Order: sequence, then C-alpha cells, then structure tokens
Amino acid sequence: MLFRPLRLRMVERWRVSMWSLLALFVWVLPAAAQSYTQRGFVESSSTIYPQAALNDSTHFVSEALLRYEGSLKLSTAFQVSGALDIRTDTHHQTERELDLSWWDRERRRPLAAARRLSIVYHRGGLSIEAGKQFVRWGKADILNPTDRFAPRDYLTVVDNEFLGITAARLTYEKGRDTIDVVWAPRFTPSRIPLADQRWSPAQTPPSGFILRDGGAAFPGGSQAGLRWSHIGSVEFSASYYEGFNHLPLFDAQPSFDGVVPVVTLQRVYPEIRMLGGDAAVPFRFFDIKAEAAYFNSGNPLADDYTQYVVQVERHSGEWTFVGGYAGEYVSSPGTPTVEFAPDRGITKTVLGSVRFTIDVNRSVAFDTSIRQNLDGAWLRAEYSQAFGQHWRATATASLIRGNPADFLGQYRHNSHAGLILRYSF
Amino acid sequence: MNRQIWAVVFVLLLTSTAYGMQTGDARQIVEEAQRRTRSGSQRYEGTLQVIDAKTKVTEKRWLFDRTGSHGDSKAVLRFTAPAEVKGVALLILNHRETASDQWMWTPAIARERRIALQDRSTRFFGTDFSFEDLEERDTNQFDYKLLGEESAGGADCWKIESRPKKTKSSQYSHSLLWIRKDNYVVAQIENYKQAELIRRARYSDIRNVQGFWTAHTIEMEDLKRSSRTVLKLEKLQYNVPMKDEDFTIQALRRES
Repeated sequence: MLFRPLRLRMVERWRVSMWSLLALFVWVLPAAAQSYTQRGFVESSSTIYPQAALNDSTHFVSEALLRYEGSLKLSTAFQVSGALDIRTDTHHQTERELDLSWWDRERRRPLAAARRLSIVYHRGGLSIEAGKQFVRWGKADILNPTDRFAPRDYLTVVDNEFLGITAARLTYEKGRDTIDVVWAPRFTPSRIPLADQRWSPAQTPPSGFILRDGGAAFPGGSQAGLRWSHIGSVEFSASYYEGFNHLPLFDAQPSFDGVVPVVTLQRVYPEIRMLGGDAAVPFRFFDIKAEAAYFNSGNPLADDYTQYVVQVERHSGEWTFVGGYAGEYVSSPGTPTVEFAPDRGITKTVLGSVRFTIDVNRSVAFDTSIRQNLDGAWLRAEYSQAFGQHWRATATASLIRGNPADFLGQYRHNSHAGLILRYSF
Repeated sequence: MNRQIWAVVFVLLLTSTAYGMQTGDARQIVEEAQRRTRSGSQRYEGTLQVIDAKTKVTEKRWLFDRTGSHGDSKAVLRFTAPAEVKGVALLILNHRETASDQWMWTPAIARERRIALQDRSTRFFGTDFSFEDLEERDTNQFDYKLLGEESAGGADCWKIESRPKKTKSSQYSHSLLWIRKDNYVVAQIENYKQAELIRRARYSDIRNVQGFWTAHTIEMEDLKRSSRTVLKLEKLQYNVPMKDEDFTIQALRRES
C-alpha cells in the first residue's frame, strides 16, 4: 500500500514532464527561436473490408492522426528534434486515455506518443544522437533483414509504420566510409495485431482447449549494433547486431482452469545475434540491390536462419520498377511454436512494385507479393493526387488471397479499399 | 604584286585563325564563363513554378547550398514547400572527371537513396529539371565547337555546341549553348537526344551579385511533355562560410 502511491506519484511526474516537453516544442520554441523548423500533417483514413473475418465482423474502420515534427538548432554543433503523434480511431485500436507514451509498449496504439525526441551533437565527421530516434539500416526496399533497430506498428499488417527507439547512436564519417554504433538501453517491441481484430495471426488452440493471452515478457537487457558502410561506384555495408527480436514468439503454457484445459500464450522476444550485409551495384540499364543476414539465437524456441533479398531497380522517365525475390534458409529449427513474423512471412516470395508519375500532382502505383508456392498473394493498387499546396488524397485497394496456413493467406478475408486524406503543414 | 601576295597570306592567316578559334575558342569561352562564376560557395532560396501542358501551376520551394566550384563542388538542395515534401533533400557531389554522385533523402522513411547514373534522366520531383540538369560538370568532360554568333534573350551571344566525351555518362547526345558576349553569362541551353530537342533552359533577369553576373530566372522547358518549370533565385549570396561536413549523407539525415 505504501509503494502504490509512490508509483502513482512517479507516473504523474512522468506525465507532467512529458506534457511540458510537448508544450515546449509546440508553443515555446517556435516563438522563441529563429532556427526552429517544423512540419506535420493531419490525416484521416477510412478502410472498408467487404468480408467479415473469423474474429472480427467490423467492415468499416476510420482513423485520424495528427503528426507534428519540430527541430531546433541550439548552436552549430547541437540540435534537438522532436515529433509527436496524436491519434484516434473507430475500432478501439487506439488507447482512449490521454497519456503520452514514450516506450511504445502498449498493445493498442497510444492516443498521444512521443515519436521522436533526441539531441544531436556533431563535429567534423562525428555525430552523436541520444534519445528517441529512428535508426534505419539496409539498402533493399522490399525487405530489410539487417534493419534490426526498426520495430514497426503491425496493427494493420500490410500497412505498417516504423516506431522510434530510445538509443544512443554514434556515427563517424570519413571520406567514403561510415561507422555507425548504436546502443539501445531498453527494448522497443513491434506492435502486433490485437487478438480480437482481423489482422491477428491465426491461433487455433488444440481441440477442447481455451486460449488465453499471457501478456508479454519483455527482455530486460540492452541491444547494440555496429555497421560499416562504404559509398562509391558500388555501395556496400557490413553490420552486426546483438539484442532481441522485436517480433515475438508465443510461449504456450498449458494449465487447467478448474476442469477446463487452458493454453496461455505469452509473447517472448528471443535474443538474437545478427551478422549481415548489403550492397547496391549500378549497371547500365538497372541497379541491383541485395541484402542478407544470418540470425542466431540462444533461445530454444527460435530458429537459426538466413534471410536474403535480391532486387532489380530501374527508373525510366516517369516509371519506377522494382522487382525481386526474398528468401530464407533455416539452418537450425527451434521448438515448433506460434510466432508473429511478417518479415519471415514475406520470404520465399516474389515481390514487385511499379510506380508511374502521371504529372507533378498525380501518381499511380502497384505492389505485389506472391509466395513461390502460390499459397499466398497480396496485390495493392494506389492512386494519389495532390490538391494545391497542402492537400493530398490517396485511394488504395488491396487484394489478399491464399491458403489459411500461409502467412499472407491467413489474411484472405482482409482484402480492403481505403481512402486517405492528408493536410500537410 | 607584293601587296597582292601579302593580301593572300593575310586572308589565309585570318581563315586558319578563324578555324582555330572555332575549336579552341569555344572551350576558352566556356572556361571563361565558368571562371567568372567561380566562387567559394553559393546560397539561394529557389521558387519553382511547374506549369504543365494544361497551364496548371504547381509551386515548390527549395533552399540551395553549394560549396566549392565547377568540377569539384558539393551541393545540397532541400525542399521547404509544399508542406508534404518539406525536408526532402538532394545531395550532389560533383567530380572533375566523372558524372556526379547523388543521393536523395526522404524523411518519411528516414532513408537515403542513391540516384543511379541511368536514373539521371528522370524528372526531379515533378519539375522539368532532370537529376542530371542539377549537376555541375567540369569543362574537361565535354568537347566544344563554336557554331557562330546568334542573339538569345535579346543579347548577342556565341553559339557553342557541347558534346560529352563519355557518351554513356549523359542522357543528352549534345547541347547547344548561347553565351552572352557582354558578361559571359549563359543565356540559353538546348539539350538534344540525337536530332531531337529534349529540354531547353532560358536564363534571364541577369543581375550582378557580389561581382558575379547571375541569372535570377531559369525557365526549363520539357518539349516532350510540353511543360515548363520556372526557377526564381531569391536571397542569392556568394562566398557564404560553409563547412564540408554539411555536405554528407550524415548531414542529410541530421538536418532532416
């Protein structure tokens, strides 16, 4: 009883300090500083699902998002950058309590989240960034096995967005070579689909058992990574990562609730070690980009495997073509278990993307992923048009088909059409 | 008789000198034009109006910083408007002997993308400038030929043909340059693919800024699409102190 009020006070202090920080960025700094830059958008998106899913009969989901980004140059060496998301939706995918989330560990999307807040120091070729930030590794566009510091929001599996991580990053650039060292003291998981919603991975309990959500066992340790990259006529990099997979495995624990057998699924994030590399090689008529990584884990539930992607890219006039293959080789299988791994779910897959810029304001795009065994396929078409200096409307249509046992195929009831309206400022 | 011989010799000398000038002086003229624009750095705010075939106007703005000069300069171009592309940036590292290196930074995905050589003919962000049009090349990468004299933009100009020495490094087979005789400022450039005129750039509103004659309006016309982009240079400054470290991929990320 003594501990609880203390914890509550700490939470209150945290809330006050986070909201103060927000107020500082939104109102105080823009007024006070000349070297302050800002941008953002307000977005409304509506999605129609013609089919009901097994666990979700909702056909219409609407979301609204306000994103604000600000950056302040304190001096020639120091810069502070922040970004804030405020959102809501009609499908209870977003928390309703007005807390400002920093760690992004909630099952639902937070109503308000600090997307980024970091301070950068740079001198010569050295840059040090500390705080919540985005770290992106890899060169390929359709799958990035080496992009280990980039958890995502997978509530809608096929339209996912990156989450920032709290980390310290040191980058040293000399000539054509760059060394990148990242240390993340606290783990940020990917946000996985909600159990009672249509993008939830298929989890069928053994006959007569009841499934229970056992929550998450977040790992306590830190993560670290090192990347050396070289730019020249050929670009390449080598990277090493030691930490945790931001995508979970489900540890199944059988028990009894009275006489009813129960399986409790707890999300665990296995430790992984990754050794990878990427390269981009220009040829006369196209570019080839390749990326590969070997993953090794001490967790008996997790596989040891190699993931790779090879893609061909060509821009011609108003056309952009990207096509490739993502593959995987499991060298040491773990204990069979349920996992949520969209990155592995689109391996053994042929992927392609075509984009055509109609004019300065309009574009169309087509994306596709087809499993090599034809057990799953996802096709997406997009038309986007800007109106004036601030408005953009994007209409999309996604068709998903396949076998229920396949990662893509399990979402065969989730074909959808959507309209996104965005006002940028 | 002697007079007649000397007259013939004089005419012959004049003819051969004129031929030498056609090949040699074309390069000298271009080099002089470049020499006159050589500065430690350049900064301006650019306003672009993209006018398509249906005369619909779209406006964009960018900030342009360049350090160094022709051949080995480095430049960063950052969009400031419209709002949806704010923060998108292009880094250009020009080289004396080869085509430039270019990387585009997109803040929404926090990634840079190298613009491959074969992609340089692509339009730059919906404008009528291609990626190649944004690079500065050294005169050593071209062969020049003086074609004559012609008026352009209301001024007397030298008309010069320029051909890239390494044909694969450019989308254009050749270009025609009009360089003003009075101040060596480029008045017009026509870019060709074999016999077909692809793009035409017209330079106007020429003013002297800190001793540099500079066109403050550049109109780039894409003749295939019948669209044009008018770039207006504002707040133009030369020899602004700039650091090399601000012209790197890390700087693109840092400043996003």
